[in-house]
Amino acid sequence: MKEAKKIFKTALEEGRTFVLENEAKDIMEGYGIPIPPYATATTADEAVEKSKSIGFPVVLKILSKDILHKSDAGGVKVNLKDEDAVRRAFDEIMKNVKSFGKEKGIDVDLSRGVFVSAFADMGIEMIVGVTKDPQFGHALMVGLGGIFVEVLKDVSFRLIPFTESDAREMLGELKAYKILEGVRGEGPRDVDALIKIMLAISKMVDENPEIIELDCNPAFVYAKGKGAVVVDARILIDGSGKPASH
Amino acid sequence: MTPVDIDSIDLFFNAKSVAIYGASASQNSVGQAIVQNFIKPQYTGKVYGVNPKYTQVLGIPCFPSLQEIEDSVDLVVVAVPARLTPRVFEDIARKGSKAVIVISGGFSETGPRGAEIEDEIVAIAKKGNVRIIGPNCVGVVDTHSHIDTFFLPEYRCGRPKPSNVANISLVSQSGAFAAAISDWTAELGLGISKLISLGNKCDVDDDDLLCYLGDDSTTQVICYYTEGYDEEKGRSFFDTAKTVTPYKPVLVVKSGRGQRAKAASMSHTGSLAGSDNVADAAYKQAGIIRPGNFEQMFDMAKALAMQPPARGDRVLMITNGGGLGVMTTDALELLGLNIPTPSSELEKRFNERLPAYCAVGNPIDVVGDANSSRYDVVLEEAIVSGEYDIFVVGMLLQTPSLEMDVTNVIANHQRSSGLPFVVVSMGGGFTTKAGEIMALMGVPTYATGEKAALAVKALAQYGEIKYGDKFNKTAT
Repeated sequence: MKEAKKIFKTALEEGRTFVLENEAKDIMEGYGIPIPPYATATTADEAVEKSKSIGFPVVLKILSKDILHKSDAGGVKVNLKDEDAVRRAFDEIMKNVKSFGKEKGIDVDLSRGVFVSAFADMGIEMIVGVTKDPQFGHALMVGLGGIFVEVLKDVSFRLIPFTESDAREMLGELKAYKILEGVRGEGPRDVDALIKIMLAISKMVDENPEIIELDCNPAFVYAKGKGAVVVDARILIDGSGKPASH
Repeated sequence: MTPVDIDSIDLFFNAKSVAIYGASASQNSVGQAIVQNFIKPQYTGKVYGVNPKYTQVLGIPCFPSLQEIEDSVDLVVVAVPARLTPRVFEDIARKGSKAVIVISGGFSETGPRGAEIEDEIVAIAKKGNVRIIGPNCVGVVDTHSHIDTFFLPEYRCGRPKPSNVANISLVSQSGAFAAAISDWTAELGLGISKLISLGNKCDVDDDDLLCYLGDDSTTQVICYYTEGYDEEKGRSFFDTAKTVTPYKPVLVVKSGRGQRAKAASMSHTGSLAGSDNVADAAYKQAGIIRPGNFEQMFDMAKALAMQPPARGDRVLMITNGGGLGVMTTDALELLGLNIPTPSSELEKRFNERLPAYCAVGNPIDVVGDANSSRYDVVLEEAIVSGEYDIFVVGMLLQTPSLEMDVTNVIANHQRSSGLPFVVVSMGGGFTTKAGEIMALMGVPTYATGEKAALAVKALAQYGEIKYGDKFNKTAT
């Protein structure tokens, strides 16, 4: 996909080995991965305008080549319900990030403004990620996401590319699979939608081997028939300049 | 990925003429031990020594260089100090030999200076289209051609033999392990076709041998011991394995469950990966079986070499001792196999033909006064019923009523049904001998229920790999 290559080129030219959230989501949308509606805004007015067309509530996140971990920099505001809240959040994010930069001794580039996104309804939080192993190459990981991933480490891997039956087998290996199947009155979840995301990411990495790490954390999986969305996406690319392979 | 040239690898196992560089007259030297292997009458090719100090070593002609040898030389075994090897490789390239095993150490495993020499010999070899096994290895043993470069005298380190039923080949990164396996499998009487120690893998690697052994008609099961792969070599091994495992079982014991990949990671996924999770997934995805250790690998490989893969996971345990039955079914259950009780119809037929005091269930206990006819009845009815995919036969020979003809009964049912069988026979000298006889009749026999259960697991696991969706998986 040419779009992805262009984004990677821009990133490397700016001296970053990660792509910005809007860029990551542009690439993912190109592969048919469901994403809550999003936009970018460089001023508070624009943020309000974009929020109105997306529909409240929204989330605002800092967009800057200098900030990889957005929350650490005070660059994320969630569940913003009206125009005032968006305007206040925009100003606060700019202030927080600027002072975060000062502490770290960097002059943070704020020219890209913020990422505006619909505040997605909560679903079962899953993580879908990619890593590049030095011996085996690209592998995809799936597991229970959010804060659980670090504590429970209930994850499963397969090398990329893989088949749909591999994807089903991966989910079957998770202890959390019972949650996806539905437990104690909770109905079954849309496993097929999750598998579609896994296969789309497999294809995306297969066609763009310069991706060396990727996290969709969380991806929300809704009730059966209601789909799944990738809420937060992070893509890291190879900056070594070597021709990429698996 | 360049296709592996199988003919270039075949020379290592079927060379018709061999030169030993560093052949030596001094006792207990590596250069002498290797010559000793090749002067055994079993090796029918030509043998030469290369060493300017001698004109002959143990009766074989010895030359200052390869150039003085009139005939062509298929395989060169190098056992000279590392610093001399670049000159040796010039000599090899000029002679036109295409296969070299470098036994010597002192290369990349020792540091940058050694790595430089290794690069140098690889470069010379590349120009001459020469393939290299090693350096820093014990080389190969082929039980059919009797090519044997293990520098370990046979009275210290036994050599395995081929079986006329089915054979295992082992590729080991470690030379010491390859030698121990040689000695051990010789003792166990396990049929072996080839043992290969890869050492530093400067040229020939796991992937090359997987291509070769996948195609080798004398190898039915392929075993690997590896500590890790060079960059991206795990991927090519994975790609090749996917093409081999549908028709030949591949088992890998991999050590170094390292955490290297973790350190530099900036994502959750990277930090959770570690190398081993990914390796584990890759093996599973490619249909490779990953035993926990060597003992398990050979218990599994023995069953896979001797028995057909299972078409499903339903196991029947027959025993003449209750304790052995329960112990074995416990182990089977733990490994995820299904141990269904016989249907009421099958139970009725068992009850009609067995004494009332036999315990009909699963395990089915034909009790301590059983003779072979009770085994015959149970196996006959159980096979006809179609309710089971795999049979485990407990054979406790300490009871006087059970005679050796039980081995015939078991072997006949296995052959006529074509279903996989595993025998467990616990005990001392008499039992061990009986187990050997049973194994000679083609049914793998184990000394404990746990080992037999692992063998059953291997047959079911490989059945699932081979038959995919057609494998009848019933356990939940």
